[in-house]
Amino acid sequence: MMKKALSVLLALTMALGLAACGSSSSSSTEEASSAETEEATVEEGEEASESDSAATYKVAFILNSSINDGGWGTACYSELVAACDANPDWEMSYTDSLSQDGYYDAMVAYCNEGFDLVYAPGGEYTDAVLQVAEEYPDVAFALLNGSEDTPADAVNGNVTSLLPDAEQIGWIAGALAGLMSETGTIAFIGGMELTTTLQKYTGFCEAASYVAEQEGNTITALDAVYANSYDDSSKGIEFANAMIEQGADVFFGDASAVDSGARQAIDEYNTAQGEVTVYDIAQPADYLGQNECIIGSQVTDNSSLIALCFTAIEEGTFGGEVLYGNLQNGVLYAGELSDLVPEDVQEKYADYIQQMIDETFMQ
Amino acid sequence: MSISFVTNLILAAIRMAVPLLFIALAELYSERAGMVNIGLEGLATVGALAGFMLTYLTGNTWLGILCGALAGILINMIYAYATVTLCANHTVYGMAINLLAPALASFIYRVYFGEGSSLMQITLMQGIGIPVLKDIPFLGTLLFNQTPMVYLAVALVIFTGIFFGKSKAGLNYKAVGEYPKAAATLGIPVIRTKYLSCVICGALAGIGGAYLTTCYSTTYTEGIVSGRGFIALAAVIFGRWTGGGVLLACLFFGFCDALQIRLQVLNIGIPYQFFQMIPYVATILVLTVVGSRKAGPQANGKPYRKEER
Amino acid sequence: MEKLRKSLTTFLVPLLSILLAFLIGAIIMAGLGANPLTAMYALFKGAFGTSASVGTTLNKAVPLIFTSLCACFAYKCGVYNLGGEGQFLMGATTGFCVVHCLGLTGLPGILAALVTGTIAGGIWGMLPGILKITRGLNEMIISIMLNYVATLFMGVIYTSWIRDANMPQTPSVDDSLKLGRVISDMRFTWALIIALAVGLILYYFLYWTSSGFKLRAVGLNMTASRFNGFPVKRYILISFIVSGAIAGLGGASDLLGTQYRLINGYGSGYGFDGVAIALIGQLHPIATIIVAIFFAALRVGSTSMQVSTGVPTSVSDIIQALVIVFSVAGMALTKLPEFEAFRLRLFSKKGKEEVNA
Repeated sequence: MMKKALSVLLALTMALGLAACGSSSSSSTEEASSAETEEATVEEGEEASESDSAATYKVAFILNSSINDGGWGTACYSELVAACDANPDWEMSYTDSLSQDGYYDAMVAYCNEGFDLVYAPGGEYTDAVLQVAEEYPDVAFALLNGSEDTPADAVNGNVTSLLPDAEQIGWIAGALAGLMSETGTIAFIGGMELTTTLQKYTGFCEAASYVAEQEGNTITALDAVYANSYDDSSKGIEFANAMIEQGADVFFGDASAVDSGARQAIDEYNTAQGEVTVYDIAQPADYLGQNECIIGSQVTDNSSLIALCFTAIEEGTFGGEVLYGNLQNGVLYAGELSDLVPEDVQEKYADYIQQMIDETFMQ
Repeated sequence: MSISFVTNLILAAIRMAVPLLFIALAELYSERAGMVNIGLEGLATVGALAGFMLTYLTGNTWLGILCGALAGILINMIYAYATVTLCANHTVYGMAINLLAPALASFIYRVYFGEGSSLMQITLMQGIGIPVLKDIPFLGTLLFNQTPMVYLAVALVIFTGIFFGKSKAGLNYKAVGEYPKAAATLGIPVIRTKYLSCVICGALAGIGGAYLTTCYSTTYTEGIVSGRGFIALAAVIFGRWTGGGVLLACLFFGFCDALQIRLQVLNIGIPYQFFQMIPYVATILVLTVVGSRKAGPQANGKPYRKEER
Repeated sequence: MEKLRKSLTTFLVPLLSILLAFLIGAIIMAGLGANPLTAMYALFKGAFGTSASVGTTLNKAVPLIFTSLCACFAYKCGVYNLGGEGQFLMGATTGFCVVHCLGLTGLPGILAALVTGTIAGGIWGMLPGILKITRGLNEMIISIMLNYVATLFMGVIYTSWIRDANMPQTPSVDDSLKLGRVISDMRFTWALIIALAVGLILYYFLYWTSSGFKLRAVGLNMTASRFNGFPVKRYILISFIVSGAIAGLGGASDLLGTQYRLINGYGSGYGFDGVAIALIGQLHPIATIIVAIFFAALRVGSTSMQVSTGVPTSVSDIIQALVIVFSVAGMALTKLPEFEAFRLRLFSKKGKEEVNA
């Protein structure tokens, strides 16, 4: 029995240690501080004036990957944080690393907590969002990358679709790839075979071929490959290596942490060659400088779309809409270019982006 | 089928085999003492995190590897106490480790690096070319221009082969996994050996995880181990509980994975999931052909109670 | 009396272990600045607070009941089926493909899906069984490998072969195929009733029929059974097929009851959860069902706990894992001879005091 007692003691010490290191840094995180603020307002009303965020609206964020994945999850999380920073009436909470059967539970829990808006960043949440939206008509739901029909499918009309234009996303990267590819071979690494991923790939190939044709070159795009994962960076390394062998010299992707693996492999290849000859175009945020091989980024900033949802809820007009995000309304744009892109190419690229905005691209 | 295609394919196979090899050797040492540990996935995950964090803090990949091993041991002691002393079911406990350890790793990463932090990257361990040998065409790049960890893994395989095949200590160790009661009557400390096996298992699985973040990928992501813990289980059976066998099994799995990726890039119009099935289906087919009757420790996965002697 | 005391301890110790797990969770939570009492209250309320949440909990328990019964049945015969997840998915996938490709609707469609799902699960369970009895292969490894194959096979279906226009997922099953709710304001469907029925049938078979007795005998001591002339290999194969069929039926029922379509991530983790549940439930079908419902409650409740306290999601995962870690260890403790001696001493002392008083 001594041993048992000892083990319990050990476990407790471990937990205490964990808790201690948790408390020391939790105050720096936005989440914990907002939770504390909330508690303070409930329990000690007179001290409420201290808290600067007199948030009256609450938005919940659910995610099936981690908000620390350095890709999709991080980008979506940061967008929502940005949207909340810009709208002090709003505060956010999140649940991440959800399993597929946990989407419904998490959203129901937030609805029961009196949240005003649930933000679900991906088409895979559609079923769960529609189900919960039916059961909680007073809560608003924003679904990213769902379909155009989703808002109409919601019986209570409380679902809005946010749809960044996947084809334009592909174009933004494709035009740069078409200008920069020396070997005439470009590559795309996807995470899952999402429709938006397919559209990005198609747009990427189209734009690259068109731009290269204008310059008197031809482009072959390798077929899109799928890691079947968003977090196995070693898959990215191996895919990038295999695609470099096939002559690919400009990469684009849609696979979160897998992308970071691909960039690592590209960097290693460039180092071995002694000069940077293989490039990567990052997404969905501006990652210039993170890796040497990144020549530019395709940026998707949904925070303005989220802000539109905020306003609609505040004014009581939320629901049933499809909000498109594109180059024209500034949701999509091309990030900063690296010095690896020559001056004249930078100008040409800016021209092509302008054409996309003017809707004269590939016309 | 150019020569560089083949070289690159084999290089990729080696890259993918090495982390698997460490994890599979961990299981080999565990099962040789009769401890079936299916918590390798979890052990490797904490190892990967510990390796990443220490390397991030100190810039020294060796410290990272060491810390990965320690973290693996620490977590595996929970398994050891429950299964050896309390005689809990090995399978369930391994699974519990698979649930607990990644959650713990994710929690620590979150608390330390903050929420939604930008991607953290570290510098990987550098490869060391063995002079002269590395300049041999074809074979040189394949065998003699790797990170020290690869050489260490190979050395470990050789050591394992000698330990279990030739040494007295190795025979005693194996006896614990085969006939624990008989071993005890011969004066072999069964309980202590089982604990020792858990220490070795935790350390090697932790090193396997740390290898992923210090020698393979510059970043740590949740799910970086991505099923290697389970493939390693297969590798041990495939390799028929010997060091050399495990090495071959890991190389085979690494080769399947590398080939799968290349076939997908070359696109031959078959859904990619079928390629990803190759390692699993191949394991089943090879095991079916080879069979594994009477291979493996007799008392594998069985609790040992001193009092029942 | 002695038997009662014994069952009391086997009940009390896991309960204490679970409390211990929550205690550690509470300490972590307090360290993060959240109020542990609020957290525990939120956990309980999330799982059982309203009739709707009870419905959600019971609904969540459905796949877990099936996979845990699947594990339970195989273990009763002494074989380790870790392939519950693959068998579950093959059941769901086959059931879906049959009704989708044949365009079946209504009751015939439901029956077709359930029957073909059961058969598919049985076949998927049969594979490790055949390999074990003919080639002597380790059934744990084969069934784990088959889980991956099944998951990837389902992936082929929803990304390539039967793909919904917009998403890597299949279209939803026809509305007429969806299993109805038993009580209108609770989320669980007839799938739960099927699950409970399977549990009761298993209980009857294992404990009240002579075949069930023989099967348990094989599980308890394979060598002795072989000497007694039991067809051990046949029992092993049958237990694999039945166990797979249970999981397959579960997949098909869950598909028609909750999921409606095949999608990425479906079924992930159900198989291993099932194994843990079956072993915590001491391989007794009825106890297994109760533990499965407890697991579901823990899942649902810890989500709402995380939501209401705002602690990182991993904290609720840690607590869930600790519950397994402690309850399995606690259960193992009760089976130790030292513990038995300790328990007897404790009770006999008490008995003496009673006499003295």
